[in-house]
Amino acid sequence: MRVDLSRKQNKTLVEQEEAITYAFLPQYSHTVSYQRQHLLVEYLSRTTGLNVKQIFPNNFDQHVEMLGEGKIDISYSNPFVYVKMADRFGARAFARAVEVYGKENFRGQIICRADNQEIRTLADCRGKRWIAVDPSSAGGYLYPLGHFIENGIKPDDFAKIDFAPGPGGKQENVVLAVYAGKYDIGSIREGTLDVVANKIDISAIKVIANTRWYPGWVFAARKGLPTDIVTTIKTALCKLSNGVPQQEEILRAANIFGIIAAQDQDFDAVRNLAERLGMDLSK
Amino acid sequence: MKLGLRSKIYFSLILILILFGGGIYAVASSIMRNALLEEHTSRGFLIADNLAAWASEPILAMDLLRLKNLVDEAVHVNEDVDYAFILNDREDVLVHTFPRGFPVELQGVNSVADSQDYSRRLLDTGEQLIYDFAVPVLIAGERFATVRIGLLRTRLNQAIKSLSWLMLLSTVLVAVLLGLVGAVLARAVGTRIESLHQAIDQVMRGNLDVKTAPRLKKNCWDIMQCDQEECPAYHEPYLRCWYVAGTLCTTCVEGEYAKKIESCYQCPVYTACSGDEIQNLAESFDFMVRTLKNHLSELKAVGETLSEQQQLLETILNATPDFVSLQDRDSVYRAVNRAFCEIVGKSREDIVGRTDYDLFPQHRARANRQEDLKVLSTGESLTKEECVGKADSERWIHLMKLPVRGGDGNIIGLLCSGRDITELKKFQERLTQSQKMEAVGQLTAGIAHEINTPLGIIIGYAQLLIEEVDESSQLYTDLKTIEKHAQVCKKIVSDLLRFARQSESRMSPVLVNSVIEEALTVVEHTFRLERVKVEKRLEGDLPPVVGDVEKLKQAVVNLLNNAFDAIGSDGTIMVSSARRGESEVLFSVADSGGGIPAESIDKIFDPFFTTKGVGKGTGLGLSVTFGIVKEHGGTIEVQSPLPAALAEHLGSGLAREKNGRGTVFTVRLPAAKEGATIVEGKGLHGHNSGIG
Repeated sequence: MRVDLSRKQNKTLVEQEEAITYAFLPQYSHTVSYQRQHLLVEYLSRTTGLNVKQIFPNNFDQHVEMLGEGKIDISYSNPFVYVKMADRFGARAFARAVEVYGKENFRGQIICRADNQEIRTLADCRGKRWIAVDPSSAGGYLYPLGHFIENGIKPDDFAKIDFAPGPGGKQENVVLAVYAGKYDIGSIREGTLDVVANKIDISAIKVIANTRWYPGWVFAARKGLPTDIVTTIKTALCKLSNGVPQQEEILRAANIFGIIAAQDQDFDAVRNLAERLGMDLSK
Repeated sequence: MKLGLRSKIYFSLILILILFGGGIYAVASSIMRNALLEEHTSRGFLIADNLAAWASEPILAMDLLRLKNLVDEAVHVNEDVDYAFILNDREDVLVHTFPRGFPVELQGVNSVADSQDYSRRLLDTGEQLIYDFAVPVLIAGERFATVRIGLLRTRLNQAIKSLSWLMLLSTVLVAVLLGLVGAVLARAVGTRIESLHQAIDQVMRGNLDVKTAPRLKKNCWDIMQCDQEECPAYHEPYLRCWYVAGTLCTTCVEGEYAKKIESCYQCPVYTACSGDEIQNLAESFDFMVRTLKNHLSELKAVGETLSEQQQLLETILNATPDFVSLQDRDSVYRAVNRAFCEIVGKSREDIVGRTDYDLFPQHRARANRQEDLKVLSTGESLTKEECVGKADSERWIHLMKLPVRGGDGNIIGLLCSGRDITELKKFQERLTQSQKMEAVGQLTAGIAHEINTPLGIIIGYAQLLIEEVDESSQLYTDLKTIEKHAQVCKKIVSDLLRFARQSESRMSPVLVNSVIEEALTVVEHTFRLERVKVEKRLEGDLPPVVGDVEKLKQAVVNLLNNAFDAIGSDGTIMVSSARRGESEVLFSVADSGGGIPAESIDKIFDPFFTTKGVGKGTGLGLSVTFGIVKEHGGTIEVQSPLPAALAEHLGSGLAREKNGRGTVFTVRLPAAKEGATIVEGKGLHGHNSGIG
């Protein structure tokens, strides 16, 4: 086919129309985030009549910053990030996820290779190489760190503490790094092993300890988002039921059992942990 | 012009190389082109697909910087990627790699559906050909964007071009190499075949001293470390020992090639020296020619022997006086000898291949054929004697026809052998006559013996009466006549008796001259009355002979009387004796008489043969003499007329007047051994009568 490449033109992108932006804390890759959330986002658009659009921050900090900048209207994040956003940027929790296994709360896990003879108890983790998800990851770092501290093991006691490379897929990367033997122990959010079950043989991974339960992931609105919108969205979310086939599909894709209403006080336990860890949530 | 083997191989090789090389080049080029194109396509798809994969995250994040980096990197890393750009789900260009604006026409020339992996379009920009690849960016089944890249065909073309050249070069190189190898092989094969052909040509021209196989590089005696000089293969560098019979290696099997060759296959000499098929052919050919040469020499020798034998046989057959012929079952002559040719009066060529009907009169041929058929059918031989020729030249033939049997015992022909027995017939007749005479003699002797006594009485009484009558009376004369004729009768009877009776001899050394002298005293008186002179030429000091004095004297008297009777009166008798060497004594009696007619000379020694008138001779004198000489181991021969010199000598006497032809009898007697005692004669009794 004959094509004339000499006729050129400078193209400009057409401006995007106004929309309610929805972001999923990027603990997974964008693609996975999209796969998990795009049905939920479409559901919200459909049921609320609002133009809800999913956007993809590259990391936890960007997520927090974008909410603070108003670029994210609705945030779906872990409780630590939430308390950070609430304390820094006035975000307000309005709903929270019930985990797949039907619990309102979730916890972290400390893992090692099943064939690692040196590590049998939590105390054996001293002097070992630790890979965690992200300094801001609740289940993937902060909850296990709290658990270690409660058991008298300080961050200095480890040979080193590294965080998984991003962006996205950080939880999976922790499992893979331990599986590959690059690190002795890893910390992950409970449920991650099921996600990587199709990539590795998870029987080769042993769970050394589970942390105590903390509240699960939280839906929060940025400061200044009109209350009626928040209410509309909260209603639509809380209406999702496993009994309705289409809605069940949405929930399954998002890897949650259901959504219940929440309020800021529900996350005080997290605030306490942060305090214990010496974290300044306002920064 | 006909092509030689070498040219044929060359041409075939070239043809095969052209066809095969060309074919391989065409097929390989096509496969290579397709493979490269496929590879190119797969590469384009891979680049675009990678870009799409990498672009998913930045597209979701709307991270245009990362997207721009991705497309720039795709162009930068892959030098044959001319451009790359990404369209969003609304077909807006998000990022691209064109430095001064995006080409408007490019956006719509290629599109890809969600269900397709990719879409490829070949674009011609006027300057070059580009494969445009479009790959959809799908996230969770949703179409988010489209990745487009442009892959230059230039590099593919260059790759195809250089690979084609490489292939062509390899093909040509392989062809040249194969051609060279083929040429060398063809030359080697051709040269050796040509050498074989020349050798065959030589053989056909009769030269059997050819060698086509090369001289061996290793010799069997070196390999086997052998020093057996008597081995037929030793120090024969052109011989292959496995072809030679009677080699002396301990591993060799005895016998000819066919027997030993199996064992030779295991031999280190065979392993080291045997060559390829053509060398084997040449060696076999040499062996064959050598064997042929040997066979030919043997054949020649056999032929010479055969020819010699044939010549010998022919000489024998031709030398034999018998005539011999060989006929087949149809009586056609197959072989004849010279005697047969002579008797038939035709040459061998005119006889062989013909039958009796071609050679003899009809009736004779028919008779012969009937005899032949009889012999052929019965298998029994036939013997006969027959007289052929006219009355004046008639000859007796003894004929034998024998059946000839082949190897299977069947009669295949007949052999006819015959001989001229005319002479034999004559002897037979003479023998019959002699036997007849012998019978007559014996009969006569019997009669004579019976007559002798009455004759004695007649003579005795006649003499008594004569004494008593007067000599002048008629009676006296008559009595005298009776006595005279009775005496004649007595003489005849006496001779008959001497002839018939084989009286015993008293053999002793005797001097021939004495015997002659004594005999002469008996007859000289009578001869003188008729004026017949006796001349003696006796050689002195003759050796004695062994004999009966009386019988020898009788023989001499008989010869003298015979000479006297031949002369009648007025003539000369010459008696001579002589020695012949140490072992023989001869004496002869020659007369100047009328001689013996030629037709009678053969019969003079026959008994009762006489030319004298009735009452004058008994015809027994010479017969008796012949018997005596024979008894003494001597010979007697007669010659008439006289030899010229002798006739001249005797002719000076009275014989000249009488048409004297003369006769001479010569007697030869063997001389006695030295030291023999000589016996003297005691005088001859009886009368001097001229018998002969």
